[in-house]
Amino acid sequence: MNDTFTERRYDIARLAIPEWLLKVERLGKVYGPYDDEIIASTGSERDTAKSSINGSVVAAWDVSFEVAPGEALGIVGESGSGKTTVLRCLAGDFTPSTGSATIRLGSDDVNIFDVEPAQRRRLRVDTVSVVYQDPSEGLKMNVTAGGNIAEPLTAAGWRNFSKIRARASDLLARTEVPLNRMDDLVRAFSGGMRQRVQIAKALANSPSVVLFDEPTTGLDASVAAGVLDLIRSLLEEHRIAAVVVSHDFSVIEMLTSRCLVMHHGRIVESALTDQLLEDPHHPYTQRLVAAARA
Amino acid sequence: MRRDPVLEVRRLCKSFVLHAVSGRSVVAFDDVSFSVAAGEHVALAGMSGAGKSSLLKSIYRTYRPNSGEVWLQIHAGKYVDMCALSDIEVATIRGHEIGYVSQFLRSEPRRGALDIVMKSARQRGMNESDAREAAADALQRVGIEERLWDVYASVLSGGEKQRVNLAAGTVHPPRLLLLDEPLSALDPDNRERALVLISALSHRGVAVVSIFHDLEAIRRLATRVLVLERGQLVAERRPDELDERLAAAAR
Amino acid sequence: MTLSDLIDRHESGELLDEFAKREIRRATLAAVAIPGYQVPFGSREMPVARGWGSGGLQITLAVTHDDDTVKVIDQGDDDGVNAVNLRRLVTSSTGADETTTASEATVTQSRHRIPEDGLDESSILVLQVPVPEPLRGVERDMRELARMHAEADYSRMWVSLYEDKVRNGVITQTTGYPCLVNERYVVATTPIPRWDIPRLHDAPFLTLFGAGREKRIYAIPPYTIVEPLTFEDVPFEVEDSDGARCSLCGKSESFLVSLPNSTTWLCSDTDWCARQRGSR
Repeated sequence: MNDTFTERRYDIARLAIPEWLLKVERLGKVYGPYDDEIIASTGSERDTAKSSINGSVVAAWDVSFEVAPGEALGIVGESGSGKTTVLRCLAGDFTPSTGSATIRLGSDDVNIFDVEPAQRRRLRVDTVSVVYQDPSEGLKMNVTAGGNIAEPLTAAGWRNFSKIRARASDLLARTEVPLNRMDDLVRAFSGGMRQRVQIAKALANSPSVVLFDEPTTGLDASVAAGVLDLIRSLLEEHRIAAVVVSHDFSVIEMLTSRCLVMHHGRIVESALTDQLLEDPHHPYTQRLVAAARA
Repeated sequence: MRRDPVLEVRRLCKSFVLHAVSGRSVVAFDDVSFSVAAGEHVALAGMSGAGKSSLLKSIYRTYRPNSGEVWLQIHAGKYVDMCALSDIEVATIRGHEIGYVSQFLRSEPRRGALDIVMKSARQRGMNESDAREAAADALQRVGIEERLWDVYASVLSGGEKQRVNLAAGTVHPPRLLLLDEPLSALDPDNRERALVLISALSHRGVAVVSIFHDLEAIRRLATRVLVLERGQLVAERRPDELDERLAAAAR
Repeated sequence: MTLSDLIDRHESGELLDEFAKREIRRATLAAVAIPGYQVPFGSREMPVARGWGSGGLQITLAVTHDDDTVKVIDQGDDDGVNAVNLRRLVTSSTGADETTTASEATVTQSRHRIPEDGLDESSILVLQVPVPEPLRGVERDMRELARMHAEADYSRMWVSLYEDKVRNGVITQTTGYPCLVNERYVVATTPIPRWDIPRLHDAPFLTLFGAGREKRIYAIPPYTIVEPLTFEDVPFEVEDSDGARCSLCGKSESFLVSLPNSTTWLCSDTDWCARQRGSR
């Protein structure tokens, strides 16, 4: 019996342990010049992201994680912890200082930090979508809901008006936007409805990775609840690899199964979400959880 | 004939470091070893604070033990140490192989009973339509009426929540079932129903580790009783050997 | 410098010096080499206001020799005041002959029209362009515009067509319809009517677009694919004057314009119209 017990390999096919689709390795983003000493002068233990040596800000450093299809990974932390920096680097909005982010596309691995800007943007069209906290960042306010969804579709080569309409209405129905509002300007929509349109747009080309940046922050509680439910059901329906950035543990708890805790640009703890909530190890995580439970 | 264990816990230790209280360390349990075979039902007994719930949570890995091993059978003759796996492996394996029924249903907000149970069944490998059927069946077994299936679980009564929880833990029965006072809020009829259900699962070969606060449940269901005292495993008893004193302490 | 000096200078044909012409020809060659790409050039002051054909005029002056024959039209009319003035400037500056007949012209400068017939492989059509940037309506940031062209990222142009169709039931853009040239760059065909758009496709003649105010030159070389941007299921349609006929020549197969406040239609291309009447 000892023999079988020491065997740590198990039948992956039967349990279908998902393999990563997005793999981030040693991502770093520093504002200002830096070297080892400057990096070492910042972080959770130093209780600052700003170097006392030269004032450089180490917004994120040595951030590594993997996300599998069908899985949502949370990144939690206070504002300024670096969580949004990480997401923006993955989105292509910020250029990271160092590190790699590999996406598995079929049999190819593509480091999205390494590709030409044009290919980067194409990846944003059909492979990596972002849902921003502020819908005006992800949507054109003076364009209709349908037109906003038409943008990624036409960027991906859709040229048939009726098919674009059909796809847009399908996505809006799925995100519970009344179809009779499809041809209204997004500007005329409420905050929660804008966020639904943004999610519909993000799903337009069935991306394999979706990045959510505080997707419900700033919405009224009841509206936020509806948007959260929507994201939850979409994540369960689709085999998306999702990254959810939030300062709100209730969002993280509801949407994610695994979670990173960031503090002053560093990952201080990484665990299953229920572990973080019930058995947090790092002093910072304990403080965060205690505050959330209060 | 001795059957291969479904679960073998080896020298498991868990303590908490409370950084807010100048890094004080609190021991939950220490050096616990035991195993559970298929169809066996091991009840944990002991005073409140003896470490019973912490032990269950550590097996499920909601708590991360400091040392020791939790070997779980995942296939005939194949075992994994839950303590040595990556997070995503733990998440997948426990969803697939372990049912965990706690005293309180901490249900996700705004999710219906059927949906909750279906999600469990799907994690255990069922497809959508099979999961729906299995979930309906599981809810019926615990006596949740169909009119409540779409109601958000968060607005159900304590007893109803507990039964939904039990249905989710037992649907498409997992290899290992962890029960932490699953009957505490049930009225006599539903309690009886739950006892029958758990007993039937044991007969089907599910390995069970449980915490019950009443002697009768332990006597009816358990094949062995492990007694914990201040985080130490101090004795093993047959259910009929359990005395009132111990049961009272557990209460 | 006195007024008479200016007149002498003007009459000596020094509207554009040889260096300027050379620079414009270089830009023009680049434009021909990269069909549809907007090549910047050092637009000179012309004796016409910017926005009144200064870009087209500079190209015409740069490509016209004294053995060329020049036709200039405004709308379709050789006798419009602007057309006459520009034609006078060109012929006096270059020594070229002038004509109103498209088939005789080697260089035709126009603002609104492509002559109904007569252009062939020996012809150069110079179009005066007020707004050369087809994406101006959807983006104002120059760097972003450059990026969109560089990456052929025209999705926002498509969105504006989508929005137009949704709002109005049809794509309402009339003149200057955006076209994809050589399957690569989207250009503004300002401000020719839709009627003339299909005639740019696979045309035997060279079309040069000049925007004096915006300092851009772009080109559609002969026999180039030119596709109006439109959805597969929303066919591109040219103007339809609903069976109307020209009240002068009686023809219906040319681009007709109606007189203000009347139901009277006339050929836009006056020279073509005159020839129809002559042959009748």
